[in-house]
Amino acid sequence: MIDWRAILSDLVLGFNDWVLWYFGALNSFYVILFLVSLYEVLRFVKRTFFSDYEQILKSEMTWPISIIVPAHNEARTIVETIHSLLGVNYGEFEVIVVNDGSTDDTLQKVVRTFDLKRTDRVYRRTLETSDVRGIYASLEMPNLVVVDKVRGGKADSLNTGINVSRYPLYCSVDADSIIEDNALLRVVKPFMEHPEEMVAAGGIVRIANGCKVRDGRVVDIGLPNRMLPIFQVVEYLRAFLSGRIGWSTMRSLLIISGAFGLYRKADVVAVGGYDRFSQTEDLELVLKLHDHLRRQKRRYRIVFVPDPVCWTEVPSTFRVLARQRNRWHRGLVQSLWRHRRMMFNPKYGVIGWVAMPYFVLFELFGPFVEVLGYITIPLAYMLGVLNFDFFLLFLIFSIIFGIFLSIAAVLLEEISFRRYPGWQHLAMLVLGGVLENFGFRQVLSLFKVKAFWDYLWRRKSWGRMEREGFRQAPAAGAGAAGAGAANAGVRPSR
Amino acid sequence: MTYSDREILVLTIAVTVGVLALITLAIVLNKAWREAREAFDRRRRAALEPEVFRYAGAAEARSIREYLPLPLTPRDRAIVEAILLDVAGLLKGASRERIATACEALGLAAEAIDGLGARRWWRRAEAAEKLGVMGSKQAVEPLVAALKDPSDEVRMRAARALGRIRGRTSIRPLVQALSDPSRWSAIRLAEILIGAGDDAVDELLQAFDGLPAHARVSALDVLGRIRTPRAADLLRRSIRDPDADVRARAAHAMGLLADPGFAGALMGALADEAWAVRAMAAKAIGRLGAQAAIPVLAERMSDREWWVRSNAGDALRALGPAGREALIRTLDAADTYARHQAVAQLEEGGIIDEYVADLASADAARRVAAIAFVEKVIALGRVDRLSHQAVEHTQEGVRRKLLEILKAVPEGAS
Repeated sequence: MIDWRAILSDLVLGFNDWVLWYFGALNSFYVILFLVSLYEVLRFVKRTFFSDYEQILKSEMTWPISIIVPAHNEARTIVETIHSLLGVNYGEFEVIVVNDGSTDDTLQKVVRTFDLKRTDRVYRRTLETSDVRGIYASLEMPNLVVVDKVRGGKADSLNTGINVSRYPLYCSVDADSIIEDNALLRVVKPFMEHPEEMVAAGGIVRIANGCKVRDGRVVDIGLPNRMLPIFQVVEYLRAFLSGRIGWSTMRSLLIISGAFGLYRKADVVAVGGYDRFSQTEDLELVLKLHDHLRRQKRRYRIVFVPDPVCWTEVPSTFRVLARQRNRWHRGLVQSLWRHRRMMFNPKYGVIGWVAMPYFVLFELFGPFVEVLGYITIPLAYMLGVLNFDFFLLFLIFSIIFGIFLSIAAVLLEEISFRRYPGWQHLAMLVLGGVLENFGFRQVLSLFKVKAFWDYLWRRKSWGRMEREGFRQAPAAGAGAAGAGAANAGVRPSR
Repeated sequence: MTYSDREILVLTIAVTVGVLALITLAIVLNKAWREAREAFDRRRRAALEPEVFRYAGAAEARSIREYLPLPLTPRDRAIVEAILLDVAGLLKGASRERIATACEALGLAAEAIDGLGARRWWRRAEAAEKLGVMGSKQAVEPLVAALKDPSDEVRMRAARALGRIRGRTSIRPLVQALSDPSRWSAIRLAEILIGAGDDAVDELLQAFDGLPAHARVSALDVLGRIRTPRAADLLRRSIRDPDADVRARAAHAMGLLADPGFAGALMGALADEAWAVRAMAAKAIGRLGAQAAIPVLAERMSDREWWVRSNAGDALRALGPAGREALIRTLDAADTYARHQAVAQLEEGGIIDEYVADLASADAARRVAAIAFVEKVIALGRVDRLSHQAVEHTQEGVRRKLLEILKAVPEGAS
């Protein structure tokens, strides 16, 4: 007679052993990533002592940039966003706002505020997009163009913007995000240093919840007063400062946030632009670029630059967070599946041997392992094979290690950019780094497991972000509190 | 001796907790130390700054040592250096030289020169940067030597410092440094050489033929932006260079010099095989105001490259009434792109609006011409501006007439 209990016990024990190895491998990787990032951050800080942004600003040899802003139902914030973008500190640039079939008065507001006229602008339709209904421009502000088009999604809007753009580099910016005045100067610098090799560069996305905004600029940096957004502040610091810096140093950065990234247009056009059917068009684009450029055997760089800042609002309720993370994870599954041939493929170097396996093993399946772990503990207890002493120690270790990773990210922030100046900010970040290990991380894993399930069942939704709007700093003439419903485009996950 | 899993785990936890405690302590101490130091520096700066300002603004030749409480502590020394460097950026002429003298008197220049030999690249770069701001002539030779530093950042700082000190001896190594492949280096060097103005021209002209192509591009850019007529012959030669980038940059520089004598060479360049050269030549002709180029520019409106069409259109628009007539004639061109580009140019130049206003003119001839023009534009299918005017124009008569024509002429008939 089959001894089911013994089989089940063996399975549970086997799984637990495997989890130990998995956990060890994952956390070793995190430590390596952190050490690489620490080295790179220190190096970067020394280099930026000699920034010379003034020279980039003044030089005629600086690449001009087209800023593309996809906008769908952004009537509440779009005017402020455009004002903010037109005021960035950069030599030659144009702002292209793509109104993606808004059903509110986004277009009318922009046309009225900037006194735009319909023009017969001639452009080449290099990328296939949904129909353009009209192009608007202003004689007073020649570097502002508004394209009105039939709804086709964010990727389609970006492709339209690329078609209409005039310059060799373009910067994608979310309509509800705020880029700092010097962000373009900072993000373009790698293109100036390595003009032949640079393909794309991403900046850091920071959380605007709790910051005060005036005239489309963050004037007072603060932390949110709720724990959920604070957890995300720590999460973003971890993801950008100890994640992306490390990946970028290893030349295997797989994602540049849709909220703020600078690209060489010719290369993006060469891969067919953004994928309209992708859940996460930013991740998909970077993977396509790697795929294409590696196959071409070209020397190229796709880098993360940690000091150009883009401020964005994050979900402050679990409901909205669940939707956002669901879409991100579905996008991850979709893109990794599409580019599965890059895995362990020698043609793709570090990307094929390290980055892709890491993303599949730890980012994609990590949540499953975690959730299965939660299930097997009571099972092991019921089967009488749970070593309670060891379990408790392992639990303590995993929590302490989680805290270590978060505090390490806070350390990177403190020795480099120090955007949160006060002692109370530091205390909140440390507290957030500790508390996020008691519930927040576990909930995120559940969201991801659900997302995988949804992907398998082909459930698709954009994961609409409900925004509360930036806190407005009091000022004469300051507009109403900006708030808008929009799509989020950052993924802090490692 | 073997350890059980439990013991290994306990040890790992202890190590992790220890590292975590160290990191937390490092964060707190780093912040506390930084803030305390900043507060101290603010206080000391408030005390020392007036003395340095008094020295900088004084007419007499007293040494800075007579203004400061000597001997300076290492921290005060660093603060005085920072103040002097800040002040140096704001001064010119004799006052600026007083800062260099002060830096030499306090031994700050000598210290920075020593710093050029530091082991760490950022210390060497910092030293070069400081020497440039100090403006001490003592630093010229060490900085020239630093142009051979293995770190590109140090080389660049040294080049920039030399540019700031402006010794004639410093130009040659800067010109040679244009060969550095980085565009960023080229930008920074170009800015320095442009700042040197006429002093840089002879060296650039002399070194030009020995430079690699990308450095020749930068050199042409500098010569164009200095706007020196002495570069005219070189530009004429360079517009026939085998390298397309060099030809394009030569055309651009010709436009910057705006010498009518370049018209022939630029008209020739409009037929160049490289589109970038054609585009630059078209743009340059617009700057020169060369009326003779109108027929060739009109021809370039049918170029297969958008930038060439666009620049040719811009140039025609810049060439006054004759250019404008050429644009209007282009509305009848066989090439669709040329016709559309012409409409875009006429729209941008406000010419479409002028004709629209004439629709209600009392002058019959102008009215007829306006109707013919508007009908032509409608027939091309480029009606955005006209449709807008049909609704928004201030004169009711214009709106009515325009609406009437818009209804009568089938869009895209041509």
